[in-house]
Amino acid sequence: MSNAVQLLAEIRQSSERRPFEVLKLAEPLLGSGGGLGTGADAWLAYEQVFVAAIDDGEMELARAVLGRLHKRFGAGSQRVKRLAGMFNEAAGHAAEAKRMYGEMLAADETNVLASKRLIAMLKAQGQLGEATAQLVAYLDTHGNDFEAWLELSALYLRQQLYPQAAFCVEEAILQQPANHYFHLCYAEINYTMGALDVALKEFLRVVELSTDNVRGFYGVRLTADRILEAKRRPKKEQPAWADAAPQPATLERLSELATERLLSVYGAAGAAPKRAAEAWLQQS
Amino acid sequence: MGGFGEGTDQEMFLDPAIRNWVLFPITVIMVLVGVFRHQLTILMAGDPPKPDARDVRQAKALLRGQLLAQNNAYIPAAAFGERRRYLCRAYEEGEYLKNKASKDQGAANLMADPKAMEAMMDGMKKQMMGIVPQTLIMGWIQFFFSGFIVIKLPFPLGLRFKQMLQSGIMTPNMDVRWVSSLSWYFLNLFGLRGVFALILGGDNAADGTRDMAAMGSMGAAGAAQPQDYHKLFLGMKDSLAITYHEWDLATVEQRVLVKYGKQARVFGAGRRGT
Repeated sequence: MSNAVQLLAEIRQSSERRPFEVLKLAEPLLGSGGGLGTGADAWLAYEQVFVAAIDDGEMELARAVLGRLHKRFGAGSQRVKRLAGMFNEAAGHAAEAKRMYGEMLAADETNVLASKRLIAMLKAQGQLGEATAQLVAYLDTHGNDFEAWLELSALYLRQQLYPQAAFCVEEAILQQPANHYFHLCYAEINYTMGALDVALKEFLRVVELSTDNVRGFYGVRLTADRILEAKRRPKKEQPAWADAAPQPATLERLSELATERLLSVYGAAGAAPKRAAEAWLQQS
Repeated sequence: MGGFGEGTDQEMFLDPAIRNWVLFPITVIMVLVGVFRHQLTILMAGDPPKPDARDVRQAKALLRGQLLAQNNAYIPAAAFGERRRYLCRAYEEGEYLKNKASKDQGAANLMADPKAMEAMMDGMKKQMMGIVPQTLIMGWIQFFFSGFIVIKLPFPLGLRFKQMLQSGIMTPNMDVRWVSSLSWYFLNLFGLRGVFALILGGDNAADGTRDMAAMGSMGAAGAAQPQDYHKLFLGMKDSLAITYHEWDLATVEQRVLVKYGKQARVFGAGRRGT
């Protein structure tokens, strides 16, 4: 029993979203009449189980847990109020949820969680324009929230606003320059926009930071080949960045390196993946 | 019977009533007052001040400038130039200032900020709560038990401890092992910290010595000087303006080739190496 409590705590600490496992662990504990551990940690576990129940659509369980939290912390608790708002969201009472989040913001306008829920609701309802506007307003105040910048970038991408999305990822890179995932996003956005020189360098940065990153090496290979192709065209038809791009010899070496590393990675995975990778690399 | 002060054991006996009616009561009352104080502090501490979104915005804007100055090497030159232009202009015009209108008035009216005043009052209240009960207890001991010997330490001590252990009694020759009531009070004042940590948790408000330390430093440092963000913004603008941008990825091709063993390391090729 204490084992399950411990596992729940571990999942909570890694902030992974694994609702099925959480429910599987918590249900015997709740069913046996006992609580989810003792002390202050138990209430964290209740919150976790509540969110998992909502994720899984188990509204009855969610209602019971929320009732227990409500009884313990009362109506004044902003944290419980947010959970109640989430319950309303999940139950389809969007207007009610919105009203609750609005109340939370009225009590404390710096309540990050409430602002984020409001934006997430707009996004879920498909009002991308309104969600973008609110997220921009949020970031104007909380400029150091890199997760929000990435979210804004994703919103822009859904609206095909690539330069704006690139700007947001730049902000994330400024905050965590050694995170290869941010560089990967930035490289792919630049590739999509046709800024191949920047894309190539960023893909290279990805494989520099993260050894044998497959997505990064695919990018290197694709981008290097396309730059080579562009460089072979007559001077007048070359894009503006072609002069700033690396020499053809370097590009060829990079492309070769990417191919070699990709084959080596897939080779380690077995014969069939290796053949598939070879076939793909040959035809492109 | 040897003469006093000649290092021989002094034959002196304390009435058990002194132990029961002086020694223990002082300790017990000090513990109780500490606990009471802790509860009172919890009671009197008002709600934490309501945060203001404009404060957050102001601080985060400065942080953004710092990050740009620090990590500018990791974004392309165009992206850096755009941000620098924007932030420099915003800093100069006080775009992110909490009170845009007051940007030229400087630090003179910082005292007018009600929040700063409130924080100061809060600190004063806490300090008063620390000092008043301690003064009362000390007065009580002085009044009723002045000159009492309350306990004998089971180990010998040097003459230097006389001041510490026998304050309040003027006997040049008495053995240092005898402790006076006022000294017992001081020993408790400094020694009960561990007891409070045990019964009230580590972060308690029962301990009186911390407030005294705070009193001493108050005159010198002043209660957390509020920051003049306009000046900070202008300073940040200057340091951004002179930031030299060099893209970290300028030589990344060579670095990657070196990292994967396709090229020998060339001096000057990889600025940061791999």
